[in-house]
Amino acid sequence: MLRIEGLTAGYSAIPVLNGVSIKVEEGQFVAIVGPNGAGKTTLFKTISGIVRPSAGTITFGDHDLLSIRPAQRAHLGIAHVPEGRQVFPSLTVMENLEMGAMTEAGQRDWKHNIERIFEWLPILAERRGQFAGTLSGGQQQMLAIGRGLASSPKLLMLDEPSMGLAPTIADFIFERLIEIRRQSNLTILLVEQRVAEALESADHGYVLEAGRVALEGNNQTLRADDRIRKAYLGM
Amino acid sequence: MTQALEGFLQALSAGLLIGAVYGLMCVGLGLIFGVMRVINFAQGDFMMLGMYAAFYFFTALGVQATFGNTFGPFVAILLAGPVLAVFGYFIHLTLISRVSGTRTSSLEGEGHYAQLILTLGIALILQNGGLLVFGSVLASIRTPLSSSAWELGPLFYDVSVFINKARGIDAVISLVTMLLLTLMITRSRIGKSLRAAADNPTAATYMGIDVDRAHRIAFAIGTGITAIAGGLLATNYPFHPFVGIEYVIVMYAGVVLGGMGSIIGAFWGGMTIGLVQQMSTLILPTQLQNAAIFVVFLLIIFFRPQGFFGRMVERT
Repeated sequence: MLRIEGLTAGYSAIPVLNGVSIKVEEGQFVAIVGPNGAGKTTLFKTISGIVRPSAGTITFGDHDLLSIRPAQRAHLGIAHVPEGRQVFPSLTVMENLEMGAMTEAGQRDWKHNIERIFEWLPILAERRGQFAGTLSGGQQQMLAIGRGLASSPKLLMLDEPSMGLAPTIADFIFERLIEIRRQSNLTILLVEQRVAEALESADHGYVLEAGRVALEGNNQTLRADDRIRKAYLGM
Repeated sequence: MTQALEGFLQALSAGLLIGAVYGLMCVGLGLIFGVMRVINFAQGDFMMLGMYAAFYFFTALGVQATFGNTFGPFVAILLAGPVLAVFGYFIHLTLISRVSGTRTSSLEGEGHYAQLILTLGIALILQNGGLLVFGSVLASIRTPLSSSAWELGPLFYDVSVFINKARGIDAVISLVTMLLLTLMITRSRIGKSLRAAADNPTAATYMGIDVDRAHRIAFAIGTGITAIAGGLLATNYPFHPFVGIEYVIVMYAGVVLGGMGSIIGAFWGGMTIGLVQQMSTLILPTQLQNAAIFVVFLLIIFFRPQGFFGRMVERT
């Protein structure tokens, strides 16, 4: 579904990504893990079109993504839940969800989607009239995920949903994600620093280090890998 | 005593009426400068164009013949709004978009320096171009209502207040326009996406909102709104191609007073300026009207730097 090949991108002359190749098949849950500054967020921003790559290709379905304007990419079915949540603070929870549903598919499935989102993340139903800026970090994260789901995406991209959250809340968000995935069969691309949790829930994983794919493999291979166990899992 | 009270009520009502129109004028800039953060020094000159557009609609394009002398001016003014909105749309498309929006979001100052110079240049072109095309003779959009009044009262002790009919209708049109705009911004899909684009342009792009297009629409609406306000002012005040300078400072003061980013705030900012301007005549000579406005402005900003409705939080 998503195919990234030889992607090199960065800011000014300094490349953050150096020939990264990543593949996400339909229905797959793929996790990208790695230390701070490895280029994970830049990878997501390149997929969404905020950062322009200097080399490489990205195809999504049959589309050459790099030839499509950034604002159009959401309409193809890519939902980007950004790092640091980035909800619209002066819009209410409900209006934030409506913004998620700006795509044609989101419009069409609005009733169905909003029901499921409220079922999965009931706090959003409870706070629907509240300004998003007044929500707690965990609630904002749930809103950002709900907003992504409201677009009826084919691919849900999550950039560090646990960032800056208390461990229990991060655990809860992970648990919700797994439940959402179990029920909806969504294709998910997750970037995460909590390596153990990410690799546990994903089917397939990539380790990104200093802008390169250092390792890749399915969930079991990666978790059994010595380097991963030492460097990330502390075993 | 009665006389002082009458004078006070008269100034108060005049202030409220003119304040409503100033409020609308500030709302136009509030969309462009307050919400979308584009510095537009040509806003006063867009307003001048709005005045002339209404003037020509009324005199040359048949509005006077169709709707008559009394209500024709108001029809012409409402027609000038959409015309100037289209004008604003194309100015944004061809010029402003090059120095604002996503194109400059990563630059230091977000393109404000270029906006400053560009819009000052547009202002100069419009002022001097206006002088060539319209001439330097004062124009006005007079209706017979400009020189007649409703008498409210006697309220008590034989005190009555006179409301200039044209100003009364101006204020009503301002309030209705303001109400419609507020509904559009708060309720409609396009209004919500404008607010989302202002809140966080990057996240709005992730939602599939074309941020530059959202900016363009906001710019067009802001221009149209200010043009309507200009036309309304022109029913009582004569105008000329350089009239924009007289109002643009008031517009910025109103937006800052109301709080950056708040549409309602910009309206109350303009209202405050109108009230101060009219009320100051009770105790100060007329020449000091503008001085009074800025003394009050400084006082308010001293005690409430974020303005009436401004938020202290930093935007993401």
